[in-house]
Amino acid sequence: MKTEKKANITTIPFLGDIILSGSRTLIGIALGLLTSGILIALSNANPLVAYGAMIKGAFGDIYAFCNVLVRVSPLLLGGMGVAIGNKAGIWNTGIEGYMYLGAIGSGLVAIQDWGLPSALHILLAVIAGMAFAAAWGLIPGYLRAHRGVNEVTCTIMLNYVAIYLTNWLVSDAGFFAESGAFFPMSKIFQDSAQLPILLRGTSLHPGVFVGIIVCLIFFFLLKYTPFGFRTRMLGGNPNAARYSGVDIKKQIILVMVLGAMLGGLGGAIEVIGLRHRVYSDFVTGVGYECIAVALLAGGNPVGVIFAGFFFAILKVGGATMSIETGVSSSMTSIIMALCVLFVIGVGLTDNHRVKKKSNKADAVAVVKQKEE
Amino acid sequence: MSYDIIISWLQATLRWSAPLLLVAVGEIFSERSGIINMGIEGIMLCGALCGIAASFYSESILVAVLATIALGAVMGLAVAYLTVSRRTNQVVTGLMVNMLATGATNLLFAMMSETRSTRVGTFPIIFPQAMQRIPILGEIFFCQPISTWIAFILPFIAAVVLYKTKWGLNVRAVGDHPQAVATAGLSVIKIKYQAVICSGIFAALGGCVLTLGEVGYFASGGMTGGRGFIVMAAVVVGGWDPLRTAIACIIFGAADAAQLRLQGMGSVIPYQFLQMLPYLITVVALTGMVKSSHVPKTWGAAYDPDSH
Repeated sequence: MKTEKKANITTIPFLGDIILSGSRTLIGIALGLLTSGILIALSNANPLVAYGAMIKGAFGDIYAFCNVLVRVSPLLLGGMGVAIGNKAGIWNTGIEGYMYLGAIGSGLVAIQDWGLPSALHILLAVIAGMAFAAAWGLIPGYLRAHRGVNEVTCTIMLNYVAIYLTNWLVSDAGFFAESGAFFPMSKIFQDSAQLPILLRGTSLHPGVFVGIIVCLIFFFLLKYTPFGFRTRMLGGNPNAARYSGVDIKKQIILVMVLGAMLGGLGGAIEVIGLRHRVYSDFVTGVGYECIAVALLAGGNPVGVIFAGFFFAILKVGGATMSIETGVSSSMTSIIMALCVLFVIGVGLTDNHRVKKKSNKADAVAVVKQKEE
Repeated sequence: MSYDIIISWLQATLRWSAPLLLVAVGEIFSERSGIINMGIEGIMLCGALCGIAASFYSESILVAVLATIALGAVMGLAVAYLTVSRRTNQVVTGLMVNMLATGATNLLFAMMSETRSTRVGTFPIIFPQAMQRIPILGEIFFCQPISTWIAFILPFIAAVVLYKTKWGLNVRAVGDHPQAVATAGLSVIKIKYQAVICSGIFAALGGCVLTLGEVGYFASGGMTGGRGFIVMAAVVVGGWDPLRTAIACIIFGAADAAQLRLQGMGSVIPYQFLQMLPYLITVVALTGMVKSSHVPKTWGAAYDPDSH
């Protein structure tokens, strides 16, 4: 009985979905913040003061906000990479690996002194990063599409391979690693390969704008193009997609490689914009945060922008909170995880959503067949 | 010289495999029931800290083990509630449990700073000095703490439980044909809960063995270092069978132990490539066994009691 009632809300066209998914997310976040508040109180700090410090740390002055903008850029690109997979019903959990590969690719180009003009050098570095990541994403994509290998296990395993590969490159590989460094790192990038700083005194690079533009592009791609339609169809009902003539294998590979390229772009921008070297653990954990971002966004590209900013604010504000109230900055990841857990725990289960979507996709397929 | 290295490598192989074996046994039951508990990495981490903290404050190994079991059961219950009752995505749930655990253990460890510099009581070695002094065998087998021995016996017990007991049959049936189990009048949900809680308990114990079995201290910032994922890999490579998974765990443990030794020696093969090995083997194994019948049929799928 209960489930039928829920189904009724979702059957309101258009609005029902938005109300339901939006309120579910907000309630989840509120519950997550509430629970984290209790935890903050338990660790001898006033939660309101702590959250206040967090907001101040993120919006207090222009430098703080620039920090948020810098932190948000990999989250947007990686989050979008996961989100596009979600739309197609694929869990592209390999963002961390793609980011490392993107950094390696762009690093290999960026350390070369070719005397190129800056714009060209940056472009080449970014392309190299995306190409490396795309090649890396092709492995789980191919295995999933042609061999039916579970993409989650596969990508997570490849993440660790990528981490150790980076580790080796920055510590022992003579052509890439800085020799005699105290800490494993790559050679420093050429000036011509570094992204410009937009605001003096901060480390604000154009990455955040790239991220927002990419999210908006994918919003339109997914909504209004045949590619987007095929992707959503694949996520809604793979069988219906197959009957209506979608090359499912090609589409799976395409979606995974696109996700990988976005992850690689995120990693490339992180190193040529902010770090100017490749370090061994430079994005550890960000890949998983990207999955959380895509999840909070419900796979919606515009939602990715909001969720990405929410997480970046938590991360930047968390540091200030830690200084002002003495609560460890690890509280940040607790808040993030709790918010996501509450969002997925509250409201409708995935199954009901899939069922409803597949009905829709079935209907679409039938209509299409009739037309033919 | 090289002889000593081989002996210490074999000894370390057993030591490093022990936590993997414990965690793997629990994970097999969970995955056989259809639930991929990806949170084992996080639960392991919490178990590691819990073991250290309880051992430090109570000065008793037994209390530490009991506390770890309780914590593992609670975390397993949480994962079970989310994945079984709320039918959330198992991957996301697990990854978020890991994120939560990383943050929580760092936070708590920072508050328990007094445990940081002190070594606490570890699992005792049960064999007498005389046996430990037997050349080769003594060094490899009898110098091991009791936890290692238990961990190596456990897969055999798990195999018996999984294949020879009614509960084991139920767990396997729930993973392969939940509808049939429901038709037989058993509660699918209840069995899944039991299996996931079991994986939580063993994951926490694995973490506890990692700290109390050997090093005797906790290091903040992810000291389990992806071992939970190695276990997930071993379970896949071992085809969800306790004994074959145990062999995979030992191979991965051996790679881990070899990698640590190579790091010190400066060999031709970069040690990072050995670190990659378990993960690469898993990808290859995954590719090879997709078509085989080993994969539990409802692996990773949510069970909806209303759909028949």
